[in-house]
This record gives sequence, structure tokens and C-alpha cells, in this order.
Amino acid sequence: MDNEKLSLPQYDIPEDMQHAIAVTTLDRLYNWGRRSSVWPLMFGLACCAIEMIAAQTARYDMARFGMEVMRPTPRQADLLLVSGTVTKKMVPAIVRLYNQMPEPKYVVAMGACASGGGPFKEGYNVVAGIDKFLPVDVYIPGCPPTPQALIAGMIKLQEKIDKQTMKTNRWYDKKKVDANYVPVPVLGPDLMDPRRYDELKAAAAAKATQQESA
Amino acid sequence: MYGKGILKGLSVTWKRFWETYTEDISWILRGKKRYNTVEGVTHRSSKDTKGIFTVQYPDERLNLPEEARYIPFLVYNEKPDGDKEILCTSCGICAKVCPPQCIWIVRSNNPETGRPIPEPTEFYIDADICMNCGFCSEYCPFDAIKMDHDFEIASYERNVFNMEKLLKPSSYYQSIRPENFAREEAARKEKEAAKAAKEAAKAAATQ
Repeated sequence: MDNEKLSLPQYDIPEDMQHAIAVTTLDRLYNWGRRSSVWPLMFGLACCAIEMIAAQTARYDMARFGMEVMRPTPRQADLLLVSGTVTKKMVPAIVRLYNQMPEPKYVVAMGACASGGGPFKEGYNVVAGIDKFLPVDVYIPGCPPTPQALIAGMIKLQEKIDKQTMKTNRWYDKKKVDANYVPVPVLGPDLMDPRRYDELKAAAAAKATQQESA
Repeated sequence: MYGKGILKGLSVTWKRFWETYTEDISWILRGKKRYNTVEGVTHRSSKDTKGIFTVQYPDERLNLPEEARYIPFLVYNEKPDGDKEILCTSCGICAKVCPPQCIWIVRSNNPETGRPIPEPTEFYIDADICMNCGFCSEYCPFDAIKMDHDFEIASYERNVFNMEKLLKPSSYYQSIRPENFAREEAARKEKEAAKAAKEAAKAAATQ
């Protein structure tokens, strides 16, 4: 199935009318529009950002995929391209940017650092992968991935968008309001994830009782 | 006069725009293909190029130099009966030198004697930690681990490659790095010849 064509393959439209008529489903129309205009957030973190910039230049030209408009504000962006090492100090800002993006929104972890921590995975100030906080759609390995590897990842993202339907997308789930909201982590002495507060409180209480008995 | 610089800049763009077409026509007149061919990409990557030089990635790709490196892979020799002769002996040197420590090797033992045998049961590389430095292939004494050229490995899950995914035949290695392969093959043959000569000399001495 050629997803780049809007029309459904099973309908036979006469050739002289093909430029004017398309028979399609709402999902397909929606995905076709979405995949052809994935606007990334203009946001770079480390050396991977240099490759991301190179991918946007005339040499590789991401405009061929409708991704040329790097938006400087999350409110106009569809794609959070996490390009580089995610430090603990930066995570609250990244999560806040993600929360500010309108749905549908996608996250791509570009490079080793953003996907798994890379060479800094055991660093005191580095988060080993942005997937600990945000739902990542595509992981692009490489250190850094070349512009061509980045574009290969973007094509993979487009393939993922093609398979989505409005019925199962988490951002259209009416039962779960705020299905996309990620609580902003708090940077204190260390980075704390609000989703783990209960766990942390239980651990602290267990430690306190242990000290009392000792 | 204000705006001179803008006009100058725009004239460069205008020149480039028309050069794309003149260049296309000249290539057609010479009966060559400027797009989607190795020759065309080479010319468009060179300093002599004129006009458009975009690499239309999924349709055509840049010519990678031989020493380009991405995630490592394990080399195996194809035996005549179809079995795989894995060159890796699970010595663990690659795992020791790996700066970000992304290699895990599970060593194997002979089930009867319980002694270790030189073949890995499993070999994992966390591609999301690997920094493509190439130390593993530089240090490997058996030429068993080599850096790949394949960069289209983006996925929807974390990329932890197991042995099944890492193993690639030596013919593939020859196709991506012909010069390196020829050099290593020559060195191996020389070593084997020296060993055979030494043994022959030893046999002659004992007689």
C-alpha cells in the first residue's frame, strides 16, 4: 500500500479525474495531512543539534518531507526532537515544553544520549534517556546520527503516523483527560519525578522506622 | 545606496537557480544521469558542482567513505555446509576497552567438561549507548567485530542488538570495506604461510 497517495487503493478512479477526486477515509486524510507537515521544535541540546541543523540545510533539505518549519515556540510545534544529552537541570524545561505542545505531538530521541544516556549514562548530572519522562516515538541510534540517519528516523516516524487512527490515539481518549500531561519533575538536591512521590515517601518512612528501632 | 547587499545576495541565489537547469541540460546532452547515480552524487558532493546539490536521501544517498563507522557488527565466515563460523572468541577485550561500556558478552562452557569454549553464547550491544568510536574493532585480535555502514536503524523501541542481529557474513564486510578486508586477508595468509614453514623446518630438523 502506498501511503503517500491519499486515495484508497481499492477504488478505481478514472485517470482523467484523479487530479480532482479522491476517495478516502477521515483517518487517512488526517494522517496524510499530519505526516506531511511535522513541524519540529527549534531546540538543540548538544552535538546532535549540529547534525539536526545540517539536516535542515540545502544539502539534505528536510523541507522535502514538510519538516522545514522549525518553530521557536512549542505551541506551534508537532515534534519534540530531543537532540543531545539531557541534563537533570534541563529535564523540567523539556517536560514543560512537551506539555505546552498541542496534540498530536511526537517525541524523537535523537542520538545515544537522548535515547539511553550514551557515554554519560552514569553521570551524576545526566538523565539516562528522555524516555524516563516522555513517551518516545522513535529512537535514532548513533553518536551523533548523520543527517541521513536522522532523515531515516523521520521517515520511520511518518510510517508510524500513517498507522495511527483517531479511535486509539491517546490524545483523543475522552475517558482520560490529560492523558498527555507529564508532571514536571522537580530539581532539588536530585531530580525528583512527581509520579514517584508515593514510592519515595514510603521509602523515607521505612528508613525513619528503621532508624527509630535502631 | 541601501539594499545593495540584499540584491547581491539574491543575485547569487538567482545564479544558482539557473545553473541547476543549465547543468541538468549539459548532463543530459552528455548522456549522463545527474540524479540517483553514484557519479551524479559524487559530482554534486565535489567542489566543482554548480546549482542544486541536495542529496535526495531516500532515493539516493551519499557515497560513504570506507572508514565511515556506525554501530559495530560481528563477522562470521560461511562454511561450505552452510554453518556459521563465528570469529569472536568471547575474550572480552572489546567489552573492556569500550568507553561507554555498551557491550555484554555471555561466555559459553562445554556442557560435558564444564570448561569454557571460545565462542559466545550471546553478545549484546546497546546501540543507544554505543558512541561509534570504533575501539572494539581496533582492539579485536581476531578481526571479529567491525564497524558497520548501515545507518538506517531507527526504531520504535530501545535498540539493544543481540547476536542474531549483530552477526553478518564476511562477504558483507568485504563489500563495505574492500581495502581493509584485502589487507587483513593478506596478513592472515602470510601468518599461515609462516606457521607452515616453521612446522616444516621443525619436521625436517627432527628427522
